[in-house]
Amino acid sequence: MNNISIYDELDQVIGTMISEPDAAIAAENAKFADVLRIASDLRNLPRPDFKTRLKLELEWVASSRPLSSARQPQMIEDFRILPSLFGNSYGTYPIQRVNFATSIALHAAAIALMAVLGALAFKHTVNELLPNTGVTELTKYVPPKGLIEPKGGGGGGDNSKTRVSNGMPPRTAEEQFTPPTVEIRTNQPKLMVESTIVAPDLKFPQTDHVGDPLSSLMTPSNGPGVRAGMGTGSSGGFGGGTGAGLGPGSGGGYGGGVFRVGQGIKPPQVVYDPDPEYSPEARAARYQGTVRLWAIIGPDGRPHNLRVERSVGMGLDEKAIEAVRNWRFKPATKEGQAVAVEIEVEVGFHLY
Amino acid sequence: MSSIANVADERLLIEAAQQDPTRFGELYENNFHRVYAFIARRVRDRGEAEDLTAEVFHQALSNIRRFEWRGVPFAAWLLRIAANLLADRWQRASKINELPAEALESVEAGFEEDVERRAMLFQLVDRLPADQRLVVLRRFVEQKSTREIAQELGRSEGAVKQLQFRALQHLRSQILSRDVNAEMDDRSPDTEAKPKIIEDSHE
Repeated sequence: MNNISIYDELDQVIGTMISEPDAAIAAENAKFADVLRIASDLRNLPRPDFKTRLKLELEWVASSRPLSSARQPQMIEDFRILPSLFGNSYGTYPIQRVNFATSIALHAAAIALMAVLGALAFKHTVNELLPNTGVTELTKYVPPKGLIEPKGGGGGGDNSKTRVSNGMPPRTAEEQFTPPTVEIRTNQPKLMVESTIVAPDLKFPQTDHVGDPLSSLMTPSNGPGVRAGMGTGSSGGFGGGTGAGLGPGSGGGYGGGVFRVGQGIKPPQVVYDPDPEYSPEARAARYQGTVRLWAIIGPDGRPHNLRVERSVGMGLDEKAIEAVRNWRFKPATKEGQAVAVEIEVEVGFHLY
Repeated sequence: MSSIANVADERLLIEAAQQDPTRFGELYENNFHRVYAFIARRVRDRGEAEDLTAEVFHQALSNIRRFEWRGVPFAAWLLRIAANLLADRWQRASKINELPAEALESVEAGFEEDVERRAMLFQLVDRLPADQRLVVLRRFVEQKSTREIAQELGRSEGAVKQLQFRALQHLRSQILSRDVNAEMDDRSPDTEAKPKIIEDSHE
């Protein structure tokens, strides 16, 4: 009951204090002096929401305000001089240079680890390098000088006792009308026709002295052959063969019966050309090149007498020969008949 | 030791706010009541005190990057801004160049202690039990009678008066205990009791 009277009494004094701010109330109420002093100060309390409102207002101003112009150059300058390494402070934190060094070391280690793992995970295999043989060319046959020794295709003679006399073959022609002869049996023929042989256009020095270039100089003789011509053969040719050609073969032309593309010889056509293998040493060295071969394509369409014209080495020559040996051709033809021709073949080795 | 840590913390807060103004909030929280108490000590009108307080913090936020740390508490800089604002306001109001007597009040004895005590009191109000705090705010800020408060809260008038009494008593005890603690902190280490070593003398 006594306490209630204290509450009422204090409330009355406070009421007076609020209604009369200038009244000297504390001095008149000594027992409430400390409490009334607090009550007096409480009259100046800010409104309860003022502090919160002002804080929100300041936060809005701070967030909507861009960084001050003085601050921006400072930031740029900080970035220029690596503030986290060389500066005195960065943000609100003191500089720890050991952190910078640790970061650099960790990044370097991570990059090195990635490089090592990458090298281990992706080992290079040579099988990925597939050989490419490139284009196989069947070029027009151009016989190298002195490649094929004239040795046949013709034949003849007039049953002379002595061998054919020395001299040069007569002019070549596609068709023979008069076989070559050195010993003229008919001194006054009714129709004078120049003697010729059937052969490609040979570039022999043309002289009046017709004979065998390989024979020794002796008394002019047409040789021991038969059916006109010169030499040991037959059929009006020149040499030891049969036919109107030159040499020991048969038919026209000269040599052993191997033709060159052109002049009525249709070239062979490749029908099967498996790729060559790449030699291990050339693959390891990533060596590339083109091997040029000479090959005789027989009437059976098979390559024969393969030999290297231009070598690239590193085992690729052998691989080229090995591959071309398995090639198959539609044989060259002359007047519809399959004939053997010598051609040039290029085999390219390239790594991609 | 704790004061050194507080100074270091305040310096970090200032540097953070200088680089990022949105971090000004903690400085505001730490100094609001002191600034408001300083101003409210000089102006009687609550609205005017609030306006000036708001202006102080706006100016501080705008000029925070120009603040140079020299070991002086941040509150001193804020109070300097407040004092300048008060002087300007009074000069404009009186149309004279001489400052009024209140402008020199900061150098009067006991003024700073009074400001600190009020700042502490305003902080303690925020920590009162909810019902006591509500009665204090209704009674002293809104200046309502206990009857009006009782009607608003749905309680008896006697209960409101009792809450008012307990709130004031609570605030008083809190202020006294803090004053005692402050005195203990200010006491010199030389005054601390040290155990004496008494050597036994045997003859």
